This record gives sequence, structure tokens and C-alpha cells, in this order.
Amino acid sequence: KCQLGLSSSWVKKMFSHYARMPVAKDAFQAVERCVSMYFKRLCDDLEAYTDHARRKTVLLADMELLMRRQGLVTDKIPLNVLIEHHLPLEYRKLLIPVATSGNKVVPHNIR
Amino acid sequence: MKRTVSRNKLKGLVRRHKPQLGMAANMDLLVHLNFLLFLHRLAEETRTKAIADKSKTIKYEHVLTSAKVILRN
Repeated sequence: KCQLGLSSSWVKKMFSHYARMPVAKDAFQAVERCVSMYFKRLCDDLEAYTDHARRKTVLLADMELLMRRQGLVTDKIPLNVLIEHHLPLEYRKLLIPVATSGNKVVPHNIR
Repeated sequence: MKRTVSRNKLKGLVRRHKPQLGMAANMDLLVHLNFLLFLHRLAEETRTKAIADKSKTIKYEHVLTSAKVILRN
């Protein structure tokens, strides 16, 4: 679907993977509507956070605040745990700083 | 299960909604994470709705009623 912006087959696959149940064909249409509403909401929220901080760029702090408000990040579940559980290794490498030999931390510019 | 996405598509999606909003490096990956968690929540809620309905498959109205719960927060 061009109006969704993401590949709808991927959304379908992830949804039925998470649902662990057969999903009717027309139910996916509802899922896609939810996804587009979700993205609209997400972008509005991000804009509000950055405007409030008088920035024009979305930083990690904004995303963390957003996920805290959504109840995903709590005191018991930090952001890094969610990243480790849900993202593949190649993305995790880019997001979680790790100390390497020579006292270097990669990636250094996060936060 | 493949959890990688086309990062350009994801960036383009945010840019289409808010063209003036910049994204720091790798922030699209956190948007992706947020999206995955949203789908996960929606799927779990829909599943419980379908089970409460004694239905074997997930139907359109199950998604709609759970979306009202999930999209609220």
C-alpha cells in the first residue's frame, strides 16, 4: 500500500506473528488503518516534545520520554532492555554503546 | 523472523508527516522499535479479545475494539 508507506506484507507478517492465531483477511485492513493512525499520532507527539525543548531535531531523550509516556519504558524496564529484546543485532550495535579494547566506546555519539 | 526494515522508508514516513522535523542519527531505529512494540501490544490485545469471543480466528471487529484501547495511550 502506497498510502501506508511501509510494506503491508511485512506488517501482516509481524502482526500474525505476534497474534499467534489465524487472522481474517479483512482484519488486516483494520490493522493498516491502526498503523496509519499510530504513525500520525507518533509524529505529532515527537513534534510536541521537540518544540517544547525548543529544538528542531528528535533526540534519544525525546524517544525515551515518548516510550515512558506510553508505558513501555518504566523504572523496571529500561530502554536498552527493550532494544535488546526486540531489535536484531545489527540495529542493537548502533544503539547500545559498548566499550571495546583501547578504552573506546562505540557508538560514541549516542545521547 | 525478519525484524529489519527499510530505514529510508521509515525516515520518509516521518518526514511526510512532519517535513520540518529533523531526526538525530539512528533515531529511525527507535521509531521502528516503538512501532514493533505497538504492533505487539495491538496483537496481544486483539488475541485476548478473540479468545474472549470464543473465536478461532481474529476478525475485523476484534481489531477495531482493541485499537480503541491501544491507540488511547
